Amino acid sequence: MQKSKRHIYLLSPLFTYFTIFFFAPLFILFIYSFWRTTSTGLVPTFTLFNYLYIFSRPLYPTIILKSIRIGFITSILCVGLSYPMAYSLTFKYKKLQDFVLYLILISLFSSYLVRVYAWKTILGYNGLINQILKYLGLIEEPLTFLLYSPTAVIITLVFIFIPFTILPIYSSLQNVDVDCIEAARDLGAGMRKAFYKVTLPLSMPGVITGFIFSFVLAAGDYVTPQMVGGTRGLMIGRIVQDQFGLTYNWPFGSALAYFTIFLLIFLINCVIWLTRLLKLRR
Amino acid sequence: MAPKSALGLKGISKTFGDVIAVKDFSLDIEDGEFISLLGPSGCGKTTLLRIVAGFEVPDSGEVLINGTNILDMPPNKRPMNMVFQRYALFPHMTVYENIAFSQFLKKRPREEIEVKVNKMLELVQLEGFESRKPEQLSGGQCQRIALVRALINEPKVLLLDEPLGALDLKIRKQMQIELKNIQEKLGITFIYVTHDQEEALVMSDRIVLMRSGKIIQADTPKRIYSHPNSKFSASFIGESNIYEGVVDGVEKDHLSIDVEGMQFKVNRTVDVKKGDRVFLAIRLEKVKRIREEEGRAYDNMVEGKCEDIVFFGSLVKYYVKISEKIEMLVEENVKEEDEAPETGQNNIGDTITLGFKRTDVNVFLE
Repeated sequence: MQKSKRHIYLLSPLFTYFTIFFFAPLFILFIYSFWRTTSTGLVPTFTLFNYLYIFSRPLYPTIILKSIRIGFITSILCVGLSYPMAYSLTFKYKKLQDFVLYLILISLFSSYLVRVYAWKTILGYNGLINQILKYLGLIEEPLTFLLYSPTAVIITLVFIFIPFTILPIYSSLQNVDVDCIEAARDLGAGMRKAFYKVTLPLSMPGVITGFIFSFVLAAGDYVTPQMVGGTRGLMIGRIVQDQFGLTYNWPFGSALAYFTIFLLIFLINCVIWLTRLLKLRR
Repeated sequence: MAPKSALGLKGISKTFGDVIAVKDFSLDIEDGEFISLLGPSGCGKTTLLRIVAGFEVPDSGEVLINGTNILDMPPNKRPMNMVFQRYALFPHMTVYENIAFSQFLKKRPREEIEVKVNKMLELVQLEGFESRKPEQLSGGQCQRIALVRALINEPKVLLLDEPLGALDLKIRKQMQIELKNIQEKLGITFIYVTHDQEEALVMSDRIVLMRSGKIIQADTPKRIYSHPNSKFSASFIGESNIYEGVVDGVEKDHLSIDVEGMQFKVNRTVDVKKGDRVFLAIRLEKVKRIREEEGRAYDNMVEGKCEDIVFFGSLVKYYVKISEKIEMLVEENVKEEDEAPETGQNNIGDTITLGFKRTDVNVFLE
């Protein structure tokens, strides 16, 4: 009896904090999404008006889809770059493991804004990339699509969120029993088959975790698009933010947010179902 | 013309950095033989097994199957399969998929695979376990699945890396018999790595005793036990009383060895001269408690004080102190209570007379 009571006491501070500052606000916002707003303030009611209003103009669905597309491309790139890195660290360059992990952690500790600014200078008209390309004589005029574009947003987000994908993938690869890989080879599998039938399925949980992190974080990001996205890189996060600022339409902002959330959840489940179909069985 | 051995290992050496794991290892293994590689940790037995399997590349030497060197073949192309120490079952596959793995890779038809897998499950009495996952199995069950996963491939040689190490004593002993039966039934050559000398004695046709990467002695269990060739062999396999002594006299049919002032008579099994240093080993069960009058029947007789008597179930051990520096252990079967032992009961503190024959003493130079 005492033991379980003690666990409850230990958990309650954190639980209380999360309830007050996370779950409660989320729940309040969800309720708001069914209210209306008038010139005098919020009107508590129950209506699907806000959700339907999303489809009233092509702007909103377009931006939502664009944000999801940018988020998806970002997460695919993140996973695609992270997996080979994590794989080499685990199985080939074992001596570099600690060093590279420190580098990744250091980048996580540094300020998000600072990193976005850094990319702004790298991608800019007179930025690092354009200077190098000009110096090498590969271009006459600086490339303009590198900054203030969806491309800039994707590039920046990929590098900001790679630590979020490398760490879970690396962790799950570490947990793959090398004996199992050797057993697969002993039983007749070549290097490639052993990878597809043993290593990949066993490391999939890490891949999915990394994918979810980077997909959700990238799709909902609104600082990076603001700083390097320009007008073409506008994403849903900014629109939602506006509803809670200038436009003062909290119910609509909540509806936009929750609609995007549900859409993201649906897509993530599709991806998981797809991987199960392709990789985890046989 | 001597028949070609099933597996020939010639001059295999392997070094890891500064450590010599295997040194000039050569061995011929017959078809259908059960060979144990026995030795303490770090003696190179597992490294050697992995070289044969293809997971380590030796610095020099050859591995021949019917005369062909298979060293340039990757592990998946070699005609041998391995049973791993910690089973290495695929956790994301069912028992059926684990066992059938090698056959799936070979693209065998589904009906054929099903028949084969059922036969394998029958072999280890695990019918009905097809849809279980490895996490639902006990250690012994995992062990048996790992075994048949390798056997289904019908390899020429099966390599086993201390497969019973993680099992309870009772299950281990049961599995030892089962493994031996399966091996005899299927006629497959087994190379079995273990550090448990009792296990090696029970299962092997031949034991290869290793230390520091070299073969110390390779022989049948019986011969290794009764004629160890070195202090190491005598103490690693079974238990012996081991003493260091100096050759005192070389006679026509025996040697006189001086051990801390005591004289022992042993057979002339080594070529020595007076003054040479030798080691003697006497199996515990070859030392008998005797009455002083019987001394002449035994070539050697000593007297000492009984320090301890330890009961082991069916055996009992006497710890007898012969002199300040010499202790002798005696092992004998526990006889029925009403069947009085030859010398009667002894208690701690008694003076006991011990005797042993010179044919039972093993002599070595190192």
